[in-house]
Order: sequence, then structure tokens, then C-alpha cells
Amino acid sequence: MKKISHLLFLVLISFTLLLSCSSRSKLTNDTLYFNLGTEPPSLDPSKATDTTSNLVIENLMDNLTDYDISTPDLKIVPKVAKSWKITEGGKVYTFTLRDDVLWTDGKKVTAQDFEYSWRRLIEPATAAEYAYFLFDIKNAKAFNEGKIKDFSKVGIKAINDHTFQITLESPVSYFLHVSTFSSLSPLRKDVIDQWGDRWTDPEHIVTNGPFKLTHWKHDYQLTLERNENYYGAKGKLKKVECFMIVEQSTALSLYQTRKLDIITQVPTLDIPKLKQTPEFHSGNFLSTYYIGLNTKKAPLNNPYVRKALASSINRNQITEMLQKGDIPTSSLIPMGMQGYNPDLGYKLNIEQAQEWMKKAGYEKKEGNTISWVHSKTKEPFPTITFIYNTNEAHKTIAEDLQAQWKKNLGITMAIDNQEWKVYNNSLQGSHTSPETAPFHLFRLGWNADYPDPDNFMSLFTSYSDNNHTHWGNSKFDSLTEKAKVILDKTKRVDMYNKAQKILLEEDTAIIPLYVYAHQSMWRDEVKGAQMNPLDRWYFDQLWLERNIK
Amino acid sequence: MLLFILKRLFISIPVIFILATLTFCIMRVTPGGPFDKDKAIPPEIKANIEAKYHLDKPTFINTPAFYKKKWIHVLTETQYFYYMKGLAQGDLGPSYKYLGRSVTDIILDSLPVSVELGFYAALILAAYKHNTWIDNAAMFTAISGITLPSFLVAALLIYIFSIKMAWLPAGLWDGGWEYKILPTIALGLRPVAIIARLMRTSMLDVIKADYVRTARAKGLNEVWVILKHVVKNSLIPVITISGPLLAGIITGSFVIEHVFAIPGIAKHFILAVTNRDYTLIMGVTLVYAVLLIIANILVDVFYALVDPRIKLS
Amino acid sequence: MSETLKKSNSRSLWQDAWKRLFKNKASVISLIYIVGIILVAIFADVIAPFSYETQSPQDRLLFPNTTYLMGTDILGRDLFSRVIYGTRMSMSVGIIIAFCSLIVGTIYGSLSGYVGGRLDNILMRIVDILYTFPSLLLIILIRVIFGPGLFGIFFALTIVEWVSVSRIVRGQILQVKEMAYVEAARAVGVRHQTIIARHILPNILGPIIVTLTFEIPAAILSESFLSFIGLGLQPPFSSWGSLANDGFQAFKSYPYLIFFPGMAIFLTVLAFNLLGDGLRDALDPKLKNT
Repeated sequence: MKKISHLLFLVLISFTLLLSCSSRSKLTNDTLYFNLGTEPPSLDPSKATDTTSNLVIENLMDNLTDYDISTPDLKIVPKVAKSWKITEGGKVYTFTLRDDVLWTDGKKVTAQDFEYSWRRLIEPATAAEYAYFLFDIKNAKAFNEGKIKDFSKVGIKAINDHTFQITLESPVSYFLHVSTFSSLSPLRKDVIDQWGDRWTDPEHIVTNGPFKLTHWKHDYQLTLERNENYYGAKGKLKKVECFMIVEQSTALSLYQTRKLDIITQVPTLDIPKLKQTPEFHSGNFLSTYYIGLNTKKAPLNNPYVRKALASSINRNQITEMLQKGDIPTSSLIPMGMQGYNPDLGYKLNIEQAQEWMKKAGYEKKEGNTISWVHSKTKEPFPTITFIYNTNEAHKTIAEDLQAQWKKNLGITMAIDNQEWKVYNNSLQGSHTSPETAPFHLFRLGWNADYPDPDNFMSLFTSYSDNNHTHWGNSKFDSLTEKAKVILDKTKRVDMYNKAQKILLEEDTAIIPLYVYAHQSMWRDEVKGAQMNPLDRWYFDQLWLERNIK
Repeated sequence: MLLFILKRLFISIPVIFILATLTFCIMRVTPGGPFDKDKAIPPEIKANIEAKYHLDKPTFINTPAFYKKKWIHVLTETQYFYYMKGLAQGDLGPSYKYLGRSVTDIILDSLPVSVELGFYAALILAAYKHNTWIDNAAMFTAISGITLPSFLVAALLIYIFSIKMAWLPAGLWDGGWEYKILPTIALGLRPVAIIARLMRTSMLDVIKADYVRTARAKGLNEVWVILKHVVKNSLIPVITISGPLLAGIITGSFVIEHVFAIPGIAKHFILAVTNRDYTLIMGVTLVYAVLLIIANILVDVFYALVDPRIKLS
Repeated sequence: MSETLKKSNSRSLWQDAWKRLFKNKASVISLIYIVGIILVAIFADVIAPFSYETQSPQDRLLFPNTTYLMGTDILGRDLFSRVIYGTRMSMSVGIIIAFCSLIVGTIYGSLSGYVGGRLDNILMRIVDILYTFPSLLLIILIRVIFGPGLFGIFFALTIVEWVSVSRIVRGQILQVKEMAYVEAARAVGVRHQTIIARHILPNILGPIIVTLTFEIPAAILSESFLSFIGLGLQPPFSSWGSLANDGFQAFKSYPYLIFFPGMAIFLTVLAFNLLGDGLRDALDPKLKNT
């Protein structure tokens, strides 16, 4: 009749003793342990739409071009394309490919592989979400809609084995960014035809990047091994073990017990403590957090009310509370991107805000606290409603905004949260009749698809599906459209300044709060790692200098 | 006996069918779909995606077909019919989240891991059974299995054995026994606790029973009385709940698998819903139901073996 | 057993049970503890030194000290006050859900058990199907459909919990129904309602009360699990479960954040379980003469 606790204890000890001497997997300088965070939903470039999948794909596949993350303005540098020409006033892009790039099975990478990949993305049967990346290309949209069946009419062409040509509908200045997208990595038609959906399994996949996929245990771990056929400079790491540990505190424990070398997310509560160690790294991210205003719903249909709201927020207080090192901003285009202008947008100015409330037609009533009544109808200023998707940080922000607007402006706000998909549904649903939508304000963030301001500015055109503010301004629309195609940098920045001024000040359709910061931890023995605003991880640029006895 | 099992399996078919239909309905009234994101997808692309997964079809009744007088299409050209047709052929469909993977693949990848962990947890149970039944220390261990949420149990174990003592890894699954110990204890504690408590109550009941009194009066050896009459008969209520318990252990615990980063099936019970991965929701529901039904049949068979008063019918 | 027909004697049965309950030390301590916790829940405003939402940014993440008995969280809120207010939330979640599932389960179970026959068959098939549904999935779906409010939690957990209650009640009724005194009552033509209310329910009240004491802690635990997966109580409310979950995120750096709410859950659930055990022993007529 042994006691169970004793029994457990004995089992525990015997196993630990047994194992502590044996296979405590030896750390070498060849293998890096990395936490991906989650299972990549798909390693098929045409289907992947999330950052985790893309992180892996970027290490498996080399594209026409890529960003140099060591340059501050993220210069586009050649990869498989050794050079490119832009002709016909920016309408035709001709890429000349290297002829020494090999697939992992030894075959050469050709322009046809690119043509196949680009075609596959817009093929209706692929049903690729990111097909719209290519909608600037001649007839690409019609092909995707099934209106054109003949692919030769689409402006995507492999002229010969090493010349790949793209013809646009009309010139757009950001198009070169498209050539870096991992969604457009070259693909092998024969492999995909042979294996179908299973072609991304480690036994079947054929890639051309610095690493190859050799093992994939779903929801647990995948192994990248150095591609010895790689045409570029060989990386020092022979192997990268990527784990999919979702729970951040578990990942941190494993990091602290040397089971992981790099973690790319840190539990918020641990940040104040970890911040003091040299292993903690933080950097800004091309991503802006903003409050959207439902400009059709009273009382926010009055621009002066919106201006008043925008100028009574202390953003520093919010970012300090979040503790993540986010950078307060009053403008939309994020720090680190062309057109970033921190002077735009309203800053905290309570007197000005109250002035605007008066302009909006409200009378101030002094009591213990400020309150407002409409000067004609004498009705009190109504309670406004803010919705957010259920999440700790959003909750903190919502509660703080609630407190600040109450204190600074005397406006009462109700807050409500919804599960993510329900929330998206509410935002979409408000388009049918914004006046009666059950909310005045909402939160969203935007991650750059590519580091070009157009990616942010075109969100708020009157015809954008992503514009849930129901605001439209033809001047803003035309400025954004024009800036899209202008190649001259100063002119372009000037146009974006004007457009942002309309969006943030004249009409105040959104209130940006901060530029996201992201955190990572890596040990001293990890070399070559750097924070970058795209949160990219190129494993061929990393190496290890472990203290091995 | 075989007849009984076959009969029970046969009766279960309508249960599975109703369950599948019910799940299908609940899923469709849940707001948000598998491809809804914060980033708007252009309508033409959305149309392609919906066409690919038959999501462009009406859910249950195809009214346009009705007006076109294509009577048979009214019921067949629907999402429900497509799904049920696949299901009848044993095809659980493609996942809407893990593009390119089938639900069957996902279940086949993750279920064995949960079963393995469940097996270890069941070993604890067996060890417990053989060694003790009215032990106070065991009761106390058992009590913490019912009184603490499992994430607290996991946190406690990690804090003591991984952080403070640095004996065992704080997570991960592959690579040696050391990785299995903490999750096994964390998962096994609760069933052990439930069964220990149930045994206690049911033994108290049985000890008072007439036949035990008779056995004692006959002057039988006390140990014999306990083993032969008390333990055997108090097992009956334990067996009753062991069906759901077994199914529960096999399908794992979300918390344990999440905290220890174990690639089991339990996470899909939650993530499939947050992702609105319709086919995966259906898949895990059906897997759970089938496991439960099998476990219950086993329990009934076992029941009949332990208690001669019960006949399989 | 027919003595239960007379009211005066049935009271003595309860007195008996009380007496036996009070002999059980663990149960008495648990009962006192539970009464104490309920008082804390009621008088949370009086007891808590701070409001549960007052943030003092300069006092972030302080370890327990004389001002902040249980330390402060990342927003500088007093954990002690939050645990005190959490008591209110956790206890009401536990009690409301237990009562709701008890009421639904008892009505359903008695109907099924008392009427019997085809109705029983149908009702139990429905329960079977509900049983086959993974409860976790059901809870999450309901939480998603009904939104993050309190009502969603009550509804979701009740839906899952009442099923087992109805089975217990049905089983009890099936037993009692066959008793001589019920048959006698039926023979003399007592109406069904009266039989249920006067003869059956009082006799199965014991097991129902015991079930209640086990349902409350079960609901508290379920709510903490919901908090863990992000579907628990939403601000401005906080329960022990949500507090413990907040603490879980950093249990290595700030163990006190998980310790105190965890302790509250542990002690309360333990107390309810011990009380339940005691009640069961006390109310079990079979143990009466021992």
C-alpha cells in the first residue's frame, strides 16, 4: 500500500536520474532552435497568407528580388533576377534571371517556373486569397474572375528560360515590391501536378532557397536543413529546428532552460523584467494601431466632434500602460516608411478640443465634471460606443480611452467587445447602413504587406473594402491615386502629406494611436540577428558561437 | 455478446447522424465564416474561394433550384448534402484553415499523440488502483486534481520541477521519457481524483450492504470480504463514468496540450471554432462521439462481466 | 419509511442530518468558510481597500507589501481588492449556474423519470446526444454566438451542466417511484402533482442538495477554464479564474499573481467538496443508524 505521492515521486526521480546523464540533446554550433509560435497553415506560396507561413517560405524559396533588411529604407536587391529593366513609362518590367540557380532536385530554375507560379496565383481554381496582389497586371483581374480564359492575354510572360516579363495595366510605383512577395516564389509545375495538395510534404517539396524542408511534424516542429545546392553564399547554420509553441510563457521557460535559442514573442507581463537583460530586443514594426470613427453615425457625423475626440488623447499614457515599447503616433504612415510624418494628426490639446465641441454646436455645462448639451435642442451629448475584439491589450486601450475622454472632454463612452470573427462580421455588416450600426468607434491595426505608403493610404479611399469609417473624400482619393504612380520621391511624399492631412485633420476619419513594437529574445551566442521593421528572419544570415566544452 | 456490440453500433448510427446535423446547424448560425478576415478580400476572389469549397451553395435548401423546377437539386445542391455525401464515403473534407490538408490527415496526425498521453495517464490510474484505495495521502493528491483548474496544476508542476529544481523540461513532447512525465501527471491527476472519490463513496455504500454483513457474519476473512465483495461491487459506479472519462482522456486536455506544447488533438476543439474551420469542427466532434460510443459499449460489456445481475440485451 | 408521510417526522430526519453534519469537523469548517466567502462576496465594497479598477501606474507589479496585501498587477491595480471583488463574480457564477442547471435538470429528470415510458425514452435519447457532443466545443460555440457578456457564460455552462443533473434526478425518481408509500399514495388516488411535490421531491432533496454543492465548484472551475482560453468574464468584471489566468502569463517572474487567486479557487472548491461529502454522508438514510 504505497502512497501514491511516494510512487509518483519515485517514478519522477528515477526517470530524471536515468535521463539527465543520457540524451540531454547536445548543443552544437550547427543547429539553431527557433520558436515559430504556431503551425504554418500552409507552405504552399500561393495559398499562404500569414506571417508564420511566410517566414518559413522565405527561408525555403528565393524570389526574383528581396529586401535588404540591414538597410534602413529596406532596399530591394537582386536574388534570382540578376537585373531588371522598367520600360514604357513604368508599364513593362523585364527581369533577367541568373542561370546558376538550382532546385533542390538539381534542375535549373527558369522563367517558366515564375510564370507558372504567378499564373497559379490568379488561376480561379487555386482560389488564392492574395491573387489581388497581381491585379495591377494587364488582364490579371479579368483572368481571375474567369472573364478571360486565354492566359496569353495576361501580362505575365516567360520570354525565354531566363527572361521574365510583366506588363501592367497602368504604371504603379510600388510594383517592384510585388516581385519580393513570397506568394510569388517560383514553383515547379511537374512536382505540383504529381503530388497535388501534398506537394509541400517534406518528402515531395522542391525548393530553391538557402534551406530545404526535411521534416514537418504538424503543430509541433519543422526542420530546415541547409541547401547544399544553393547558388548564393552558404549560411553557417546546418540545421534550424523550428518549434510551434503557442504558449508564450512555455516558450520563455524553454528559452531560459536553453531548449530554444530565439523566441520572437515575449509574455507582456515579463517584459519589464526582461527589458533589463541584453538578450531582450525590441524594434518598431511597419504597423499602425488606429481608432476608426463611424463618420455616418450621429454625433460623429459632425467633423468637429471627431476633431475634438482626436485632440483629447494622451497617447504616451496608453503606450506606457501597455509596456511593450510601442511608439505613440498621430499619423497613419508608420515610422520607417517613406512619407512618415509625425507632425500630422492632432496631439493632446484639451482647450482646442473644447473649442471644437463648441463649434460642433454644443454648450459646455460646468459642474463637478464637464458635460455638453446641444445648443439648440438642449439635449445632452449622447453616450458613444466603442467596440474591440476580445484581447487583453485592446481592453486596456479601450478602458484608458474611456477614462481619458471622460476626464479631458466630458464624453461618456460605452465599450463592448466581440470575438474576432464576430467582430470582423460587425465591421463588414456596418456597410449596409452605417447610420444605424451599433457602434461609433472601433479599433484596427494595419500591417504593411510591403513597405510602401500606398499600402496604408489606399485603405481609406472611398471605394476601399477595408474602409469601415464610411468616410469618403474625392480629394483624398485622387491624391492617393496620383501618388501611386509618381516616381519622384519628394513630390510623392508631398502628396501623401496632403492626403494624410485630409484624413487625419480636415475630416478626421481615423485616430492613429501608435506604431507597433515587436520583441524578441536571443542569447549572446546567436550572431547576425537583428530586429527589422518587417520582422523577417533569414536563417542563412545567422550563426552560433556557443561555449562548448 | 458480439450481437450486442453490433446492435449497439447499429443504434449509434442515427445518433451520429443527428449529432452531425446538429453541429452543422450550430456552426452555420455562428457569425463569421472561415475566410472572413480583417483584411477585406475582393469579391471576385471571395467568389473563387467559396466556389472551391462549395460555400457558394445554399446551406440546406436550394431555393433557386426550386424556382427552376430542378426538384432534385433543391436538396442535393446544398452545402449540407455535399458534406453528408462526403461523410457517408468516409471523407471528412479539406480543412479551411490548414489549406491543402484534409481533416482526416489532421486527425490522424494529432489523435495518436493524445492517445499516447492518455495511455500514460491511464497508467498512473492503474498504478494508483493497485496500490491503494483508502489512503489519505492519495486522497489529498486526488483532491488537488479536482480543486485546481488544470492550468494551475500545470503551472505548479512546471514551477517546481522545471524552474526551481530544473529536473524536467517545461514543455515539448518528442525525445525521451523526461518530456512525458509532467504532462502525464497533470493530465492523470483529475481522472485519478474523480475515480478515487467515487470509489470512496461507493465503497461506503457497499460496506453497509446486506451481503457484506452476511459475509462478515459467516466469519469470512476481512481481506477476502473487502476484495471479493466490497471492491468488486463498488467498481460498478466507477465503471459507469469511466466511459466519458476514457473518451475525455483520449481526446486530451486543451490546457495540458497547450501549456506543454504537445501536438495533440485537443487544441482543435477550440481553434477549429475560433477559425470557423467548419470541416474540422465536424471532424473532431464526430471523432469524439465515436470514441465515446465505443467507450460506452466497452463499459457495458465490462459491466456485465463484473456484475452478473446485468445481462447484455 | 412510511414515516416520511407525516410532516413532523420528516423534520426530524433533517434534524438528524444536521446533527450528523455537525459531527463532521471537516464539513463544519468548510461550512464556516463558505459562509465567510459569501459574506466577503456580499460586502466586497466594504472590505476591499481599493476599487478593482483604480490604476496607479507608479505602483506597477509590486510584490505583496503592507499597502498592497497581495501585490499589484501590471496596471498597478491592487490584487487584494481584485481578489475580493473576484469572489463576488466567482461565487455568483458558481451559484447561479448551479441553480440554473439544477432547476432545468430537476424538471427534465423528474418528468422523464416520473412519466416514464415513451417520453422517458425520447428525453433520454436527447440527453444521450447532448452527452455525445464534446462539451468544450458546445461551450465555445455558445460563447461565440451569444457574445462575451455574463449571460453567455451562464447559458453555456448551464447547457453543459444540467445534463448530468437530470440523469441523477431521473435515477433517484425511478428508485423512489417504486417505493411502497408512493404506490400507496397513487392507489388512494392522490394527484400526480401532489405525489411529486409531497412524496417524491422531499425524498430526493438530499441527493439534489449534494449535487448542488458539487455543481458550484464545478462551475467555478469551468469559468476559470473559459478564462484560460480567453472566453471567460470580460472587463470590467474579474473572477478568480480570470485573475489566475492573468497571473499564469508570468508565473515565473511574479508568482504571487497566480498564487492568491489560485489559493482562493483551491480553498473554495475544496470546501464545497468537503461539505458535499459531509452532506452526502449526513443525508444518506442508509447510514442513519451507524
